[in-house]
Amino acid sequence: MNLVWKIKQRSCNKIKKYKVENNNPISRDRIINDLVPKQFGKRGMIWTSILILICLIGAYAYYRQLTKGLVVTNMRDYVSWGIYISNFVFFVAISLVGSLITAILRLADVHWSTPLTRIAEIIAVSAIVFASLIIIVDMGRPERFMNLFLHGRLQSPIIWDVTVITTYFFISLFLLYLPLLPDLKILIAHRKPSVNKFHKLYVFLGSFWKGHKEQFRLNDKSINILCVMIIPVAFCIHTVTSWLFATTYRPGWDSTNFGAYFISGAFLVGAGAVVVAMYVFRRYYKLEKYITEFHFEKMGKIVVMLGLLYLYFNINEYLIPAFKMKKAEEEHLRELFSGSYSIMFWFAIFVGMLIPIFILITKKGRKPLPMFIAGIMVVVGAWFKRYLIVTPTLLHPFLPMQNVPESYKHYFPSWEEWAIAMGSLAGALLVITFFVRILPIIPIYETIIEQNEESQKDIAV
Amino acid sequence: MKKAKKTLRYNLLLVLVISIFLPTLVNAQAASNETAILKLHYFNINNNVQYLLLESSTKKNKVFTPQKNILYKVYLDTVSNSNLISSIKTNDAGKAKMFFPPYLKSHWDKSSTHMFIVMKGDEEVLTDYYITKARLEIDTTTIDEIKNITVKVSKEDNGKLFPVPDVEMKVGIQRLVGVLSGGDEETYTSDSSGVVTVPFTKINMPGDSLGNLILVAKIEDNETLGNITVEKKAKWGVPMVLSEDFFSKRELWSTRFRSPYWLLFMAYAIIIGVYSTLIYLIVQLVKTIKIGKQGPPPLV
Amino acid sequence: MSESNKDHHNSRRNFLIGGISSAAALAGCLDNNHSFKTDEPVQLTGEKVKLLSVDGDIIEIDRAFLKPVPDLPSLTNDEERKGIAGKKFVMVIDLARCKNLRKCQSACNHMHQIHPGQNWIKVLGMEDSIHSAPYWQPTTCMHCDEPPCVKVCPVDATFKRQDGIVLIDSDRCIGCRFCMAACPYSTRVFNWEEPQLEEKVAEQHYSCETSMPQKKGTVGKCDFCPDMSRKGELPHCVQACPNGVFMFGDLNEDSVTNGSETFRFSDLIKEKAGYRLMEDLGTKPSVYYLPPVNRNFPYESGLENQTKEL
Repeated sequence: MNLVWKIKQRSCNKIKKYKVENNNPISRDRIINDLVPKQFGKRGMIWTSILILICLIGAYAYYRQLTKGLVVTNMRDYVSWGIYISNFVFFVAISLVGSLITAILRLADVHWSTPLTRIAEIIAVSAIVFASLIIIVDMGRPERFMNLFLHGRLQSPIIWDVTVITTYFFISLFLLYLPLLPDLKILIAHRKPSVNKFHKLYVFLGSFWKGHKEQFRLNDKSINILCVMIIPVAFCIHTVTSWLFATTYRPGWDSTNFGAYFISGAFLVGAGAVVVAMYVFRRYYKLEKYITEFHFEKMGKIVVMLGLLYLYFNINEYLIPAFKMKKAEEEHLRELFSGSYSIMFWFAIFVGMLIPIFILITKKGRKPLPMFIAGIMVVVGAWFKRYLIVTPTLLHPFLPMQNVPESYKHYFPSWEEWAIAMGSLAGALLVITFFVRILPIIPIYETIIEQNEESQKDIAV
Repeated sequence: MKKAKKTLRYNLLLVLVISIFLPTLVNAQAASNETAILKLHYFNINNNVQYLLLESSTKKNKVFTPQKNILYKVYLDTVSNSNLISSIKTNDAGKAKMFFPPYLKSHWDKSSTHMFIVMKGDEEVLTDYYITKARLEIDTTTIDEIKNITVKVSKEDNGKLFPVPDVEMKVGIQRLVGVLSGGDEETYTSDSSGVVTVPFTKINMPGDSLGNLILVAKIEDNETLGNITVEKKAKWGVPMVLSEDFFSKRELWSTRFRSPYWLLFMAYAIIIGVYSTLIYLIVQLVKTIKIGKQGPPPLV
Repeated sequence: MSESNKDHHNSRRNFLIGGISSAAALAGCLDNNHSFKTDEPVQLTGEKVKLLSVDGDIIEIDRAFLKPVPDLPSLTNDEERKGIAGKKFVMVIDLARCKNLRKCQSACNHMHQIHPGQNWIKVLGMEDSIHSAPYWQPTTCMHCDEPPCVKVCPVDATFKRQDGIVLIDSDRCIGCRFCMAACPYSTRVFNWEEPQLEEKVAEQHYSCETSMPQKKGTVGKCDFCPDMSRKGELPHCVQACPNGVFMFGDLNEDSVTNGSETFRFSDLIKEKAGYRLMEDLGTKPSVYYLPPVNRNFPYESGLENQTKEL
């Protein structure tokens, strides 16, 4: 595909819209100045320190777990998977957004999403990294991790999961890196090496990018291939993750609906996370000109659509078993609907789905601040939803829970589990924070192209 | 340092307290009714090999504990060095198994009934175990297409064999750790002529690969005869049918070396497809890098 | 295989088939339980010992048979994973005989040094519906023929053997606990902390067949005691039960025994309408249950032990 032609097309579309909002296109230097990574301010430092502190507490908790064993958790023989696994599912879910924003919208020739692609991709990469880490944390024998490769058994869905997560990580990394190349050239040229803290890193990553037409052509082609490829792989990571549950017989997990249910949920929480990130970056880095209300409007509609989709799958997932009330399901569903998990269950349904949908369905609700609140609700609701998918099922085995100590019959995470789970969430945020410190969160080059209709050819970046 | 001293002091105190109370504790334990149980069993296998099995344990509050590593001496009839069967220690299960050494031959041949004496140190702990030499014979007959197992018990008296009536025994097929009765009764008792006849009702029992069954007659813990077992092979069963070769199956539960073909095909097709594309992309990236090394593009 | 080994093997095989020779009988006769013939050759010493026979003759026997339990050659991990050829172990649990004494449980816990509070055998007080009669159900690992736990294991740490037994290799297990989630019978337990073992046990060489010594961060479960089978003895739970609830045997031989009684398996299942748990899941268990009809004990007699736990 001819890049120049494409850029022209894209820019034409784009600029019409921008013109409505901002009468004057922003100049090249201004864009670069606005978008190059900036040093942390005071708030940035506080934020980073808090994240590091949470990570350290998590690391200490993990040290305790390593020395004493998984006994420091409150998982026991019945609830053998707890908050670690629900956190894992949450991470995998959130990482799916990379494919949504970048690939699906790009292939659908939707161009307003350009400023959001990198946000989505970095969320995807950091989430998938911490998904793999948290699964190692959950292992009773982390030092035998290599057994997965030495003795890997193709019949096990865990091996499928390991394979697709690794693959998805590489593809996401690629998809983060390739569009970054033109920006790296800008970053290298932006300041003198002496004042440029990360000059060496930029040179290492992208000094070969000289802006040849051929380079653009190759890169563009690669990105297109990646966009096509990442969609099925992204579907795989979440479908396979759902199969970790759906391949068992347990009530609440034994469902043919599970893959689609998980994917729709992942799209929703991923989109919610992007909305939150959009708002935060826009506020903090003063990017109002680049992440406009138009973007919020569009993302808001997407979140509503995904929310309705997830609601549909939830109704499927709970109404149909509840209609039949098979013996094994009955106890489980009663516990969710009106039992000890009912508050969390209805919280996840209302706060995670219904209320955000109602907020975003109105035009006023799609302004940045209400969107931010709705985004937070979606993400928090989604986290609890994952907890509800994992834990209550395990407390309803087929045979009665007897001949075990009382503590085996309940589950509430221990402080070590909370610390590790929160530490992993903080770690993911930390990765994103450092990324923003080092590399531009909004693609500079593409923004420049889109802002200057006149002389794209001259911008030999 | 100070702390260490303090700990030491506590430890000394603890030792002192224990040493004061320990004797009373031990006495208290001995006082509670712990009984030592010693059992001796005589085994005669196929009227050929014979051995003794000693079981030593203690019983306390209905719980049996095996007495490990205790030295016992077992004698034939009288306590003398020439009559020593074995001087043996019990194993972890509290058991000791002993055979009859050849030098007992003359003594063994002398009498039809023998007594066994177990000594623990200088104490005779078991003296009332008597065994009369006996013979158990098993045979198979088929009358009017009805298969029968015939067993005859006889014991020795003054060098001659006499039939023994009223001996309870199991007659059947030797199976894993048990004897499956050949007829309809669980056990059988010998008649006045010392004979048990069991009509064989276990039709089509799986035997070995040729259909052979091992028929056994087994007297267990008889007061005068001890434990006697005889075996006879008979082609009364059907050849054992073993399921098809277990290790050639390719199932979802098979090992990683035997994944089902459809799974291998699917998995590798996907993996090869995706990773060859990734490799292609890396090649593209390398091309991009090479172009970059040529220097900056000419300005238009 | 070296020539001499072959000889040993052959000689062992011969008397296995013959079964009549004195050596064979000896090999089989360990205490009261007689001649279980595994295909595992007894490790012969080659040293002959002279003995006095019943008839007063002098006979010769290999020293290996003189021990209470003949030494079996120590098995390689590979052999442990393959299992005993020609066997298909099966268990029958007669619910009419169980009064929740839990001797099976305590014997199993003791022999396998299971963590306090955890059990490989659970005696469950079952009541299927409000109006149906309650009963005690000892629950072991079902050693399924379509084991869902083995299907999901990512590293071949749990595996099915040719003799039907599902075992765990604690040297391989990564502790992902997927098998625990997959098992519908909730039979698996996890070593959440360093197991408290007797020194002697902790030092012994790990074997999948004994499941000992257990290891921190790995999964454990009922193993049908294949080490006992190799020695010609019944599993610990079967031996410990005073009421003869458990019957263990070889499906290929079509018989099961609780030590004192031996039944033809097919007759027993037919006459007493034996069944397996959760047949609808398609797991094909190796453990059969006989329904609690014509009970030896009323259900209430077992409540004493139940309340003790709570």
